[in-house]
Amino acid sequence: MRYNRQIILPEVGEKGQQKLGQAKVLIIGAGGLGAAILPYLAAAGIGEIGIIDDDSIEISNLQRQVIYRNDAVGKSKALEAKEMALSLNPSIQINAITDTLNAKNALALFEYYDIMVDATDNLHTKYLINDACVVTNKPFVYGSIYKFQGQLSVFNYQNGPTYRCLFPDESSNSKNCVDAGVMGISVGIIGMFQANEVLKMVLGIGNVLSGELLIYNMLNNDQQKFELVKTNITPLSQLDFENKYNVVATSVLEISPKEALEQIENPDVLFLDVRNEEELPKISLPNNIQIPLVDLEENLDQLDPNKMLLVYCQSGMRSKKAVEILKKHSFLKVQSIAGGALKLQGIIATNTVSVS
Amino acid sequence: MLSVKYFGAVAEKTKVQGENIPFSNLSLQELVDELEQKYDLGSLSYSIAVNQKIVQDTNGYMLISNDIVALLPPFAGG
Repeated sequence: MRYNRQIILPEVGEKGQQKLGQAKVLIIGAGGLGAAILPYLAAAGIGEIGIIDDDSIEISNLQRQVIYRNDAVGKSKALEAKEMALSLNPSIQINAITDTLNAKNALALFEYYDIMVDATDNLHTKYLINDACVVTNKPFVYGSIYKFQGQLSVFNYQNGPTYRCLFPDESSNSKNCVDAGVMGISVGIIGMFQANEVLKMVLGIGNVLSGELLIYNMLNNDQQKFELVKTNITPLSQLDFENKYNVVATSVLEISPKEALEQIENPDVLFLDVRNEEELPKISLPNNIQIPLVDLEENLDQLDPNKMLLVYCQSGMRSKKAVEILKKHSFLKVQSIAGGALKLQGIIATNTVSVS
Repeated sequence: MLSVKYFGAVAEKTKVQGENIPFSNLSLQELVDELEQKYDLGSLSYSIAVNQKIVQDTNGYMLISNDIVALLPPFAGG
């Protein structure tokens, strides 16, 4: 009875419903996109859904992450999302994973699930999802937002083009919802498109958005598709993947913002801001230099290799990337400031350290 | 005439979603260099499409009149 309205569609039928019940889908991120994708996949009867996120619910999440109740602020997103999905449909299985997706857990998770849905808010994890999907030969349902525009595609579907074929430049950066702002409806629309791609793949109906990038504009309903071809044809082995990610993960040293700020008077220390010039908050430190991440490799001559470099960006992701680049160019004393400018600013503002 | 469309953070820099540019014989890379300079796009990373197809090799790509070029940055929000 539960699924009657979709079973009576000839494109679904009893057979389609069985396929849905046998499908295993992993939703990576329980934020705005995840909050749209999860309830619809659960209601449609996807048999097993994993939801991975290590965040807890904040009051500022509620305008777009509409599956969370006001009284759940402070609780785990993954666990709350599981409870919501099971109260909607107790006949399916939900696996809550209260962790971040990382190079150590990605391959095992991706081996287990059939379809990976990207509901993340940063480019670094999108490359990780892409590469882990390539290694495990699984499709990657991509969705992402910039203010009132959304992007959608299905990568690595039946050996189709991958995220790297579309965006080969891994050092690029883009603002997320926290930095750029977003309406809940915008993430809802794109999340719904992603859930729809999942259903089409499971049911084998319609055309999957593989080899195409859809850009949807919420303000004028303009919808454009761009074709892309597979350019990354070298297969990625599990060993390649582990070398690429695990080495990086263990070699990037992080320093806490408080410890970093204790070095502001140290003449042998240089703070390196790898954000773009327009990014706020501005951090004014006496021994500070700004070189945006994209320009870093061309401007290494501005840096003294004998000094300890403390690298920061907005939230601590791009600075890790910068540390890798610097290490590659034989800068040995380099550390990334955890939490970036947002955390630094917080400490400076509360005057726990004196900034001259 | 060439038509150029901008998306995401690129459109924010150009302050328009698209524009028409008088056609002259130039490669896609030359057009992109001009736009990068005009709008100071240097810090942004984006892919480029011509007539709704992503182009990888912009250097060897000669534009023809009425081509529609799109600058597509990656989005990160979610």
